[in-house]
Amino acid sequence: MSAVANRKPFDAGRAAYLALNLLLLAFLLVPIAIILVFALNPTPYISFPPVGVSLRWFVKFFEGDDFMRALWLSLWIAACVLVLSIVIGGACALALARGNLPGRAFLTAFFMSPLMLPAILTGLALFQAYLLAGIGRPVWGLIMAHTLVAVPYVLRTTLAVLHNFDRRIEEAAAVLGASPARVFFEVTLPLIRPGVFAGGVFAFIVSFDQFPVSLFLVVPKGETLPVVLFNYMKFDLDGAIAAASMVSILLALAVVVVLERLIGLKAYVKL
Amino acid sequence: MTSASIKLASVTKTFDGKVVAVDDVTLEIGAGEFFSLLGPSGCGKTTSLRMIAGFEHPDAGRIHVGGRDITDLPVHHRDMGMVFQSYALFPHRTVAENVAFGLRMRAVSKPEIERRVAAALAQVALTGFEGRRPSQLSGGQQQRVALARAIVIEPRVLLCDEPLGALDRKLRQQMQFELKELQRRLGVTLVFVTHDQEEALAMSDRIAVMSGGRVEQVGTPTEIYERPRTRFVADFIGEINLLDEGARPRALRPEKIRLVPPAGARLAGTVETANFLGGATLYRVNAGGRTYLAREAHSGERSPRAAGDAVGLAWNDADVVSLES
Repeated sequence: MSAVANRKPFDAGRAAYLALNLLLLAFLLVPIAIILVFALNPTPYISFPPVGVSLRWFVKFFEGDDFMRALWLSLWIAACVLVLSIVIGGACALALARGNLPGRAFLTAFFMSPLMLPAILTGLALFQAYLLAGIGRPVWGLIMAHTLVAVPYVLRTTLAVLHNFDRRIEEAAAVLGASPARVFFEVTLPLIRPGVFAGGVFAFIVSFDQFPVSLFLVVPKGETLPVVLFNYMKFDLDGAIAAASMVSILLALAVVVVLERLIGLKAYVKL
Repeated sequence: MTSASIKLASVTKTFDGKVVAVDDVTLEIGAGEFFSLLGPSGCGKTTSLRMIAGFEHPDAGRIHVGGRDITDLPVHHRDMGMVFQSYALFPHRTVAENVAFGLRMRAVSKPEIERRVAAALAQVALTGFEGRRPSQLSGGQQQRVALARAIVIEPRVLLCDEPLGALDRKLRQQMQFELKELQRRLGVTLVFVTHDQEEALAMSDRIAVMSGGRVEQVGTPTEIYERPRTRFVADFIGEINLLDEGARPRALRPEKIRLVPPAGARLAGTVETANFLGGATLYRVNAGGRTYLAREAHSGERSPRAAGDAVGLAWNDADVVSLES
């Protein structure tokens, strides 16, 4: 007795669907692959096909004082922005979703507006505002600027979680004897945390990758990594740029993976 | 477990300044009583329950529990148990942690918590499920956890907001027995909100039928069913024949009408439809230009009447109820 093979007939629609997905995936990943090839290619200019594999550009990147200073500054700023945008965005979302505020729709649109505005405008506006206020261009000013553009991401993910939140769960805690503060810390906060941190990941990446806003607000010897890379590219276009890009990509990926492991971004919520 | 009486005195609640959800409701619920608030959606039953729990504050009137005025007492000081239709379990905690929550809020010692959580889970036949998450349980099991979580704090009052509404019919019936049995065993005062009249009749010591924010009638299931006071109650609880309309309508339950040979009957008519219900048949009989509902229980032999048959209707005058309009 032989099993009858249920071979499905060729399905043109399904094949086209798969092809489209592969194409999109290629569009996303091939540029990264090209960067990797350039980063490993030892020639001092960007060329194709590669002539070999070497880590000299990575060495140059990690040994360059300007690169390292910028990398640490960018990481430090992104970490501050992560914390600030989580606190501010989370609190904002709670107020908007729960506060019974007048003009809630307007307020939400207002807080989301940095997303709609071209970042270069935000940068220019902040530059002039800082100038007028006599603040100058301190690092905390840069952190504030990044936070401004990062908060909408946290706001949006947290609002999404709050929208699907069954408030009976909080009522159940209250009736069991939890004071409003305990309800918040025992029930509300743990349940919205995945949404808040999902937004926090975006906030970190938005800050770490931030170029247009930073461009106006950095000082010489105090530039963030994207600005340093841009300035470097104006004069040299060698593999160090590609190596720096690879390091950036891997760092961003590491942050996402670590947060996912620590908090479980997918827990209890579908984003 | 000590139980407490509940008193609502002229309680009124309006939402957004216009929708009157609860309109001058006065109720007295005895200690240890299984008391149902029954009515269609929007009748004010849930709002009444939420005011007892403390989630809503009445615009007027007072609420007393155990002789004490608790109208202005915050929710978390009321010492009540509550079970929700959506279960409202804490999804980020295990079954044991869910049940332990109320005890932790009361700063009960750890060994004592463990002992009481185990006892509460045993009460609802969920021993062995301590480490599971709510998402790993069936609807019926989740509702049992919610029940255990509510009774573990030994509340004087247990509030249930359509707790069985999300369960399928078979499971609902089983849970009705279990809840009733649990309430009797614990002796706790239980306020049960439902729109399901069969459920209310089956479980309650007394029922308040509500409509439009007002209490239409309060009574035992038998009183409510046999002696409905208003047309709304008669209509809402089961089927009813309205014999005459007007200022003082009279009503008659379908099972009080007997099908007899047409000769010499009170009314003669023809069977329009015969719906076989299992243990009984529900007939629609046309007599004198009106339709009557008659329910006949099967006692051994299968009922012989079918659509088109000529039948007579008979009933005892004592079974006819006079209603307020």
